[in-house]
Amino acid sequence: MSPANTREEVLEAAANLRWEVGPNLHDSLMEALYTDAARITDRVLSRDDARPAFDLDRTIDRLVTSRWLGFPIMMLLMAVVLWVTITGANVPSSLLSSLFLETLHPALKQAAAAAGLAWWLDGLLIDGMFLAMAWVVSVMLPPMAIFFPLFTLLEDFGYLPRVAFNLDRWFKKAGAHGKQALTMAMGYGCNAAGVVATRVIDSPRERLIATLTNNFSLCNGRWPTQILIATIFIGSLAPPALAGLVSAGSVMAVVLLGVGCTFLVSWGLSRTLLKGEASAFSLELPPYRPPRILQTIYTSLIDRTLIVLWRAVVFSVPAGAAIWLVSNIHLGGVSLAEHLIQGMNPFGLLIGLNGVILLAYIIAIPANEIVIPTVLMLTVLSVGLPGVGEGAGVMFEFDSASATLGVLEADGWTLLTGINLMLFSLLHNPCSTTLYTIWKETGSVKWTAASALLPIAMGFLVCFCVAQVFRWLGG
Amino acid sequence: MIELTGPILAVSAALAIYFLLRPGRGWLERWRRRLRLSDRVLSEDALKHLYHCEYEQRVATVQSLSGALGTPVEKVAGLVQRIEAGELATSEGASLRLTPKGREYALRIIRAHRLWERYLSEETGLKEPDWHKRAEQQEHRLTSSEADALAARMGNPPFDPHGDPIPTQRGQLPPRRGQPLTSLEVGERARIAHLEDEPEAVYAQLVAEGLHPLMVVQLTHLSAERICFWAEGEEHVLAPIVAANVAVVPLPREQPVEESLESLAVLEPGEEATVVGLSPNCRGLERRRLMDLGLLPGTVVTAEMRSPVGDPTAFRIRGALIALRGQQAANIRISSRRQVA
Repeated sequence: MSPANTREEVLEAAANLRWEVGPNLHDSLMEALYTDAARITDRVLSRDDARPAFDLDRTIDRLVTSRWLGFPIMMLLMAVVLWVTITGANVPSSLLSSLFLETLHPALKQAAAAAGLAWWLDGLLIDGMFLAMAWVVSVMLPPMAIFFPLFTLLEDFGYLPRVAFNLDRWFKKAGAHGKQALTMAMGYGCNAAGVVATRVIDSPRERLIATLTNNFSLCNGRWPTQILIATIFIGSLAPPALAGLVSAGSVMAVVLLGVGCTFLVSWGLSRTLLKGEASAFSLELPPYRPPRILQTIYTSLIDRTLIVLWRAVVFSVPAGAAIWLVSNIHLGGVSLAEHLIQGMNPFGLLIGLNGVILLAYIIAIPANEIVIPTVLMLTVLSVGLPGVGEGAGVMFEFDSASATLGVLEADGWTLLTGINLMLFSLLHNPCSTTLYTIWKETGSVKWTAASALLPIAMGFLVCFCVAQVFRWLGG
Repeated sequence: MIELTGPILAVSAALAIYFLLRPGRGWLERWRRRLRLSDRVLSEDALKHLYHCEYEQRVATVQSLSGALGTPVEKVAGLVQRIEAGELATSEGASLRLTPKGREYALRIIRAHRLWERYLSEETGLKEPDWHKRAEQQEHRLTSSEADALAARMGNPPFDPHGDPIPTQRGQLPPRRGQPLTSLEVGERARIAHLEDEPEAVYAQLVAEGLHPLMVVQLTHLSAERICFWAEGEEHVLAPIVAANVAVVPLPREQPVEESLESLAVLEPGEEATVVGLSPNCRGLERRRLMDLGLLPGTVVTAEMRSPVGDPTAFRIRGALIALRGQQAANIRISSRRQVA
């Protein structure tokens, strides 16, 4: 028998035998490997099997996952974190903004004038790029620098996985993972950071769901918009004593709508677009340990705050340039901004917004923080209010709500515009910083596009419906 | 003021033309390719039908083909002519037969189909009812080298998730095995070898019952109206016409019963048990994850606490506290459930 012949025969025999070994060969092999590994460790590792009389971990676990105390403890902690963030961020925020906007900006303008810089270069660089960047930094940095370390401390202590444990059942109904509660909470600080935080979800499908729906958590950059618009349009409807309460209530309603959208969209995605993604739930509840405070503050500042801030700065600079350019480039004697506003106005009005708001959301895509200043600047530009604002392409804000209301009403804003702006601020594409982060995290253009198009389509739909109902009611 | 009307118009026109005519991926090109595909799909489906008839020793005719493809007989006649012209099949009287070349072609399609089903069941989150539908489309798109690469990546699996053998690269298949569930005697034990995935409604019913290949069943009752059997600790009742779509291989009677009846899902906080194994129903990523966590035969698992809303439950597994959902725990078989000392 020649060797070639033998080889043929062996292969033939093997080919016939493969039907005999059964469908689970690989599984049995794997199981045997794991079992062997486990047996070896059991032999060399001695464990203290006796359960101690008092186990601190177990006691804490009983408390934070108990039927009666579990949820109150969770809400209390969340409220404390938010309260510390909001009150703590006020002072540094106003310091930064007076430094950047009231001191540095005029100083730069003067220096440019002294150096004899061409008007368009001065406008593009200082009024466009610098101002956008300064605005983003001063509004974004302080709350993030407080929120993220606090959140990381809770994570380090080991409490956050218990939150996921308590809430998982509801997320499961929406096809999501309990840990999505954590990425949502992180999203209230910053959506880009929330998207990065989805790394804690190790099941591919659930992670994508958490990534695509993070935008429905109202981020730090959108809270001021909500509060401002609620105060001047909705709070003013109530008697002065109740105004604060009513406007706060309406902001809360938007936040809750966001939570509702998160569950609804998660449910929809897990049954349609993401049906095919692999999924495997697992949730480890690590032992508690004293948080390492200094290390936590350091890493959360470096890993979360600075990375996100840097991305926001990188995106806000070109956006600042775009904002200035659309206001200063003219086609046929009229500025590009006015052309665009006129072009989008019919659609904007149809859905109860207007051309200015749509354009502002397009050119202020890098950060939600600069949407209101852009809206104000564009409104003054398109209505042509003399002596108001800082000039074409220069973003600004008023100190008083009534001055803001005056400018907006001059452009025909109504209660409907206010309500729809609040809704659209929740339901629109994520800022470019978040989109870039989604693209980095998923490595997929498809999912990045989906995460942008889905909320914006929902926003148009919701605004359109609200506008129809509002007009039908004769508002 | 900077005037820019002209350049913008020129650039947008150029972009539109580029997307329409882009070589290889342009919209025009894609549309033409789609038209060409549908003809091939029909003849490949026809070859598959001829092969299945041959494997099950039935006679294939133009009528049976028309029924299987859901296409009118007149159209099938033209199709048969094309197939014969390609020397893939010959007709003898009314019956149609594959030529060796046609058989090889059919096996290639079947290989792609079953590999794809296997891939969907192991590496994606799609559930049973979607596997067949998607594989019906993918089989026409996978080239044979792609199918080989896919098989190699999955470790050359011999069977698809329905229990059907996947033809080897050289087109080999084992002889048909299994007999209908309805042919068992009362009291006889057997292992499920295959669940027929067509018609869809019947398959959906089998899946809803929780049946899957490798499950051990024991017949308890058989009459013209219904058939009752035990499987993994539950009693199932099916209409005989549905049960006929389940193929089983009888087990020797003397072999001891090793199937455990309880799953981890029944464990209450404060109880522990020993893992016997994972249900075959738990596949792919999920299975690997559970094994990674240490849920292997012999591991002792203690239920520690339950979420305030009832699900998930946290289990102490090899020293770590891991939360599992009820649905997952139901796939982990246990024995010797007891109170923690």
